[in-house]
Amino acid sequence: MVTRRAMSAGEETGVDLTVELCGIPLATPLIPAAGTLSKEALGEVKGVYGAMLPKTVTPRPRAGNPPPRIAEVSSGMVNSIGLQNPGLNRFLKDLDDWNVGLPLFVSVAANTVGEFAAMCERIAGEERVAAVELNLSCPNVEHGGLQFCAGPWAVREVVAACRGALSGKPLFVKLTNEGVVSNAMAAEEAEADAVTIINTIPALVVDPRERKVFLRGGLSGPAIKPVALRAVYEVSRVVEVPVIGVGGVTSGADVVEFMLAGAAAVQVGAGSFVREPREMLEEFAAYLRENGLRARDLKGALTEL
Amino acid sequence: MKLHAVEILERERFGDHTLLRYRWTGAPPEPGQFMMVRTADSLQALDPFLSRPLFAHDYDDEAVSLLFEIRGRGTALLSEEDAGLLVSEPLGHGYTLDGGPVALVGGGVWVSPLKLLSRHLTRSGITHDVYLEIPATAHEAYAAWISENYPDAALVRTDAALDAPQTVLGSIGDLSRYAGLYASGPAPMLNAVKRLSDGTVPAQLALRERMACANGSCYGCAVPLWRDGARAYARACVDGPIFPAEVLAW
Repeated sequence: MVTRRAMSAGEETGVDLTVELCGIPLATPLIPAAGTLSKEALGEVKGVYGAMLPKTVTPRPRAGNPPPRIAEVSSGMVNSIGLQNPGLNRFLKDLDDWNVGLPLFVSVAANTVGEFAAMCERIAGEERVAAVELNLSCPNVEHGGLQFCAGPWAVREVVAACRGALSGKPLFVKLTNEGVVSNAMAAEEAEADAVTIINTIPALVVDPRERKVFLRGGLSGPAIKPVALRAVYEVSRVVEVPVIGVGGVTSGADVVEFMLAGAAAVQVGAGSFVREPREMLEEFAAYLRENGLRARDLKGALTEL
Repeated sequence: MKLHAVEILERERFGDHTLLRYRWTGAPPEPGQFMMVRTADSLQALDPFLSRPLFAHDYDDEAVSLLFEIRGRGTALLSEEDAGLLVSEPLGHGYTLDGGPVALVGGGVWVSPLKLLSRHLTRSGITHDVYLEIPATAHEAYAAWISENYPDAALVRTDAALDAPQTVLGSIGDLSRYAGLYASGPAPMLNAVKRLSDGTVPAQLALRERMACANGSCYGCAVPLWRDGARAYARACVDGPIFPAEVLAW
């Protein structure tokens, strides 16, 4: 039903918003970034997104980090939530809460390669899930707490294990900006079906009055958009698999820019906290209409310098 | 988050506080609910990036009022003349009204939600006493405004050298004559209310947390509480911002 509404939104504006991602048809190229859309807020975004992507789930429940968890900074925010989530069992039990008639992507994170693979194996048998996104911006306890996206070797190992475990479903790999080109190439070599570029950028917020660290977390929002755009652009030039662009999207023009830079679909994260994703989609549709283009025409349609 | 452009009916500034009154035809705010608020210009510029969560101070069937301290750029911009105002629908779970008599305890700059609460209690015929603590450091204009707008409240001007929350709570005397406590104040005061009310009188506390999405999505406004015997984090925006004191894991 929601899918039909999204299509009609496109019909109303007289433009074709549909794109395809790893063989999955999306009614619009917009996807909520993991951890930025809750069940409570689903009603606000009917007809806006082309797929659903709930908050990252881990093998066991996680309480998350003690507050403070967020801080506002120039043109964005820093967060350190700590992957608060109910764990895979509970998540799968309540999976129907996410059934809004859209393809459902599931973001997963774990402490070890084995745990990552076990989650993928479990989800492989779950018909309601269309694809899995690996959140590699978490520490690998078997490698001294280095992140799973610390380098190509680490990415290759975890992606290969998950690829083997997740039979029959597309596997997306979400990467942070540092080393993104070589990491994306490693993900592709290990047979990832798409790469999500980029995760939040490591950041620090200091309280000068108390002379202490206020927050050590990840930066998101417009502050990171040019960085994300560059990463999407560079990665798109060296990998064959689709790139899902994410980082600081707050407008329809931003969606256009990410797709021109090479993104097949675009995730909206912190931007959805301050602007309505519906407005971004309308702006995106207006751009397409004015230029006589379809959403799928944009990907990589960029004139070089 | 859908924001609505609203007409400002009144903008009053006293000291470092601002009262904003705007015409509101949407869902009436319940006592303890909040709105996400920002200026129109700041949304255009996305600077500051986030909206500010502000308690509904009062509502009279025509207009909502907000009472807030100017703490940073966001609240400073909201206090400027001619700033266009954008507000969300009323959000969150407010105070639950039960039987009386009850005591309302407010502290410092955090008294805001108690006005609307008092109005609802009066409407429901629930007897209530209001105790407000105004720190000695508060701006004179604000202190005068509070005195004027809470004529029936017991006002306690605390000396900075004293333990303020103990002072206002001390002025209440025997808690057992109340069926409930409703508090909104700085963290030390809420802590003291929780300690004093524990096992004697049910208390409901208004929590102020930093918020980003205000719709349960970002998990930024974490509040530690006890759930099924284990410590867990609730979200102030959708699970609160009013919490029963006994569930808080402070």
